[in-house]
Amino acid sequence: MTDRDGLPGDGLGHHGGARAPALALRGICKSYGPVVACDAVDLTVHRGEIHGLLGENGAGKSTLMKILLGLVRRDGGTIDHDGTPVEVGGPQEAIALGIGMVHQHFSLVEPLTVWENVTLGDTGKVDRARACEQVREVGARYGLPIDPLAPVSRLSAGERQRVELIKCLRRDPSVLVLDEPTSVLTQAESAELFGVLREVVAGEDRAVILISHKLAEITTATDRVTVLRRGRVAFHSVTAETSAQELARQMVGRDVSLRAEAAALGMLPVERRGGRKQEEAPEPGVEPALRLSGITVRSDGVPLLDDFSLEVAPGEILGLYGVEGNGQATLGDVLSGLVEPAAGTIEIGGTPVDPARPGALHRAGLGIIPEDRHASGVVLDMSVADNLVMKSLEGVSGRLLIDRRKTHELARRLATEFNIITSSLDNPVRSLSGGNQQRVVLAREMSANPSVLVAAQPTHGLDVGAIEDMYLRLRKAASSGVAVLLISTELEEVMALSSRIAVISGGRVAGLLPTAEATAERLGMLVGGVAA
Amino acid sequence: MTGEHSVGDADRMGRRLAAALNPGPGGVRVALATAVAVALALALSSVLVALTGGSPGRAVKALYDGSLANPSAISSTLLYAAPLLLVAVGTCVCVRAGVFNLGQEGQVLIGALAGAAVGLRLAVPGPALLVIAMVAAALAGGAWAGISSLMHRFRGVNIVVSTLLMTFLAQQLVSFAVNTEWLLQETRRGGATVSPQSNRLPENGLLGSFGEYPGLQINGGLLLAVLAAVVIAVLIARSRWGFRLTMLGLNPRAARHAGVRVAALSGTALAVSGAFAGLAGAVLLTSPVGTNRLQQGLSNNIGWDGLLVALVARNRPLAAIPVALLFGVLRSGGGFLASTGVPHFLVDVVKSLLVLAFVVPPVLTEALRRRREGRGAATDADVPAAEPKEAVAS
Repeated sequence: MTDRDGLPGDGLGHHGGARAPALALRGICKSYGPVVACDAVDLTVHRGEIHGLLGENGAGKSTLMKILLGLVRRDGGTIDHDGTPVEVGGPQEAIALGIGMVHQHFSLVEPLTVWENVTLGDTGKVDRARACEQVREVGARYGLPIDPLAPVSRLSAGERQRVELIKCLRRDPSVLVLDEPTSVLTQAESAELFGVLREVVAGEDRAVILISHKLAEITTATDRVTVLRRGRVAFHSVTAETSAQELARQMVGRDVSLRAEAAALGMLPVERRGGRKQEEAPEPGVEPALRLSGITVRSDGVPLLDDFSLEVAPGEILGLYGVEGNGQATLGDVLSGLVEPAAGTIEIGGTPVDPARPGALHRAGLGIIPEDRHASGVVLDMSVADNLVMKSLEGVSGRLLIDRRKTHELARRLATEFNIITSSLDNPVRSLSGGNQQRVVLAREMSANPSVLVAAQPTHGLDVGAIEDMYLRLRKAASSGVAVLLISTELEEVMALSSRIAVISGGRVAGLLPTAEATAERLGMLVGGVAA
Repeated sequence: MTGEHSVGDADRMGRRLAAALNPGPGGVRVALATAVAVALALALSSVLVALTGGSPGRAVKALYDGSLANPSAISSTLLYAAPLLLVAVGTCVCVRAGVFNLGQEGQVLIGALAGAAVGLRLAVPGPALLVIAMVAAALAGGAWAGISSLMHRFRGVNIVVSTLLMTFLAQQLVSFAVNTEWLLQETRRGGATVSPQSNRLPENGLLGSFGEYPGLQINGGLLLAVLAAVVIAVLIARSRWGFRLTMLGLNPRAARHAGVRVAALSGTALAVSGAFAGLAGAVLLTSPVGTNRLQQGLSNNIGWDGLLVALVARNRPLAAIPVALLFGVLRSGGGFLASTGVPHFLVDVVKSLLVLAFVVPPVLTEALRRRREGRGAATDADVPAAEPKEAVAS
């Protein structure tokens, strides 16, 4: 790792190379069991600079910051703050040391007012007038105007971000960490935020760590950048001396196709079925099994899905890849019938479906493995058999009542076919392993003979064997003519399974390319919100 | 977000309570804990009786004498058990669906009010009058609960709160009706003072009984209640409606995902619960448990106690049958106990202790289980979700 002390040209608030860095993490290691989250990570941040931390999901960014804030205990390595070794025992100690963090998901108490939120965690007597004055004063100094008496519940996302910033800045931190700060902000709000950050580092000699996966932000707003990949520092540079293309390549990994190949070979001892369709884009003229056009969902004015359009052909697996929080969860909710889009149409087999009608998507032939299987995939306290038949009650009922025998027959057949391992079909689904629970969902969805199967993060939290099994079954579904939409944040998965890859960024499809043409650079640029 | 209502904390609490109280796994441990808790409750009750100057032995004897010792005592116990069971059966339906109705007391009163209005005003010959009055009572109770459901649907008013508050409104309505001459107040005869009550219902509007006083008397209301319990038990366990109801109560998100019309079904569940409470009101009005007149105090906490019966029975309609009988024993025996000098409030204390003894163990075991799972989940959540695969791939 090249660690140069000087900054390029501008020399913002930087007084030569002799001064100790504001923060120096050296050789930080952290493992969770056999999983290495951080592997000898070095990170040096100076006063007067904005340091970008770039990486995909699971690259180790969050773990590193949790270690810095004392939320997670590290296995090894040292932390120096202004040249002094420190041990951070928890967030309160971090604040006392002058390390403040604005989390991606706001940690504000909605019914409370701005000043109450800002002073939350203070000790001693509550002085409302002084607190309000302080909020106004900090707000004015940084150009973050906010009414201290307004309840947070009435504020927009951008205003909430201001409150979080004021909360941090009021405590006069020397190091300020922002985790994906623009994920809920509009373009103008983001620009305003970066203006404030520039002032914070330039005018007041603080250090800022900006965690992001958006390349444009990193290239325009930071002075230096560190790229993490799979728990290691993959790349480190002065921002001005690198390019978006280079960063994209570094973030996703040079060997992207090799990794996909390895994943496919190592984890999938089956030959590729329906290989013809795997390799080629669907022929033009084939009616798509699933057509989403212009799907738009907003929450508090912020678009979660923004004119989202995508087509999936019968027999193909289309991978929808992107960094978490770019609209995948909302898309899953829309396709589960849980959220009604403000605009746009869903067509299945050429027929428009009204997603607001309960069960309409299911009846139209859409099966879905939801991302949050505990929340919407299964009813944990109902039996395996009940969970298997819950979408097809009519099929297992007599004239008046549900036929227990038919229910068990169907459940037994599905359990055998999908290899669901349980001592009894009457056991609650809660008692099953994650992989078996996921098989229950898959079995139920496939039992309705869908023409479209949506699999949202289908292998999250599963063990290797269960993952293998899931891949096999998704391929099998595709080769039998089902259109499979695989929503995943894991590149290996998408590369190994899909014939085409669509990249979702900011609630839109940023680009669509055949897997064969998916290079690290192109994917990285798309993921980073830059058209490739 | 569209389609998703802001669910108040109380509703969420109700749902969690519902999940905790619905029959689940771990039966043996719960049964054992319940036995211990009941023993504790009884011991504590004895101590309380002794402290207030009574003798526990005599108190038990009085309870027994008043409720089970002879055919007429048993008859009175059964008369109380019938409306309790009806209220409880309705409560089972709505709690199963994750809707927590706290307004049974008011729904009982509204049912009785409607039953009295129909029974007194409609000149229908023969037992048809009884049937019409019963149906009117059920419809009125269901509609009364339905108002809360609509308020929730369109204005987001919390169901627990609104059903509870509607009870006080119902009490005022009944009071107004029996104090207003042109409504239901009894007819003035000569110069006699009139009481705040309605006229007595005509004979053909009353529920008949099998057996005669002082022998064992089984009122039609009890048969109706037991029949309702059996029918609802079968519907919950075996029908598609019951399946969806259970699914909704345990996981509304999954239910919606599976195509359940969540708003409609939970609204129906609440209305059904109100209808059963209304029916209980009609039984109170038309069976010999009271004076067969509409009075302000007619409901006499049957709504509240019926809710407790469902709680103790853990929302199983069939289990509610013996529990309703137990509560009937406490009611009729409690009256007798008071007449022997033990303070009346002590009966309520004993009742509350017993309810707690039945309700706390399952909730406690559930909470412990949650905590164990929560701890497991917390350690899992620390692992970045995407990492395990990468470790494998590399």
